[in-house]
Amino acid sequence: MGRVLEVTVLTEGVDATRLNDKATDNVNSNYSLNVSLSERDRSSDALVLSFTLELTSHPQAARFKVSGSATLKGTKDEIKEAISAPDDNKPPPILLMVYERIYSTIYVLSGALKVPHPLPNLLKKSS
Amino acid sequence: MVQETGTDLYSGVLRFYTLNDVRKYLKELLERYQRDYDRSSNVIGSLLRTEGGKGMEVIMSKGWAKVGSMFVNASDPDKGGMEVTFQLVTEMKPRISKTEEILKTFDQVEQLPIEANSTYLLYLHGGIPERLVIDSTEPPPESFSFKGDYTTVQ
Repeated sequence: MGRVLEVTVLTEGVDATRLNDKATDNVNSNYSLNVSLSERDRSSDALVLSFTLELTSHPQAARFKVSGSATLKGTKDEIKEAISAPDDNKPPPILLMVYERIYSTIYVLSGALKVPHPLPNLLKKSS
Repeated sequence: MVQETGTDLYSGVLRFYTLNDVRKYLKELLERYQRDYDRSSNVIGSLLRTEGGKGMEVIMSKGWAKVGSMFVNASDPDKGGMEVTFQLVTEMKPRISKTEEILKTFDQVEQLPIEANSTYLLYLHGGIPERLVIDSTEPPPESFSFKGDYTTVQ
């Protein structure tokens, strides 16, 4: 059953907190991301993962916590490739896909809280 | 292409990681076949009721002609369409019975002495589950979990 991997991301919970009264949205700020992915269900052609992504801005201005599920449908090899990190510094492709899908939610929330927007760019391992 | 009626019939081998997953799959397969059967037979049923008393002739078209290796109906599309739907419904019945029977007696498979960490290969032919291989050589994959710290970059 060869086919292209299909990924569905469902956001199940969002928590956004403004951490600093003096924070403004017109400064550059990096965000650190703490991520947790765990298997919720698996079948012959699908894997369902639970995810929790916690983003904190530096300097501290805001924290966002987004949780939900990601469903991967495809062949065994496609699923394996999506959850395997290419090397120690790079995240598994599924994390990038989840981040891409939830990015618009975080962008809107950071605007509402008037804190710096996180960057949509690729993620690298924090040192 | 738009699917008018009918059901997708898979032929191939599926691997399952638990016997419970096999049972769940068979149950969903049966439900889907029954749903598709009900949908198609409702169309036939309502026509037979509307044309009450006329019997099967209502859905037997005389407009078929052999063109090449195929029967083609260009003169009587209503009855032609109804006739092929009726044929489809007739073919669905044994598929449903077979799947139902497999599911009904599946507890006999579940009672077999099966090695821990076995996986299961289900062979389907034309949508009908025909054989099950209990594979003790390939264990299910380890449960996936991942934790990490990253930063957003320019």
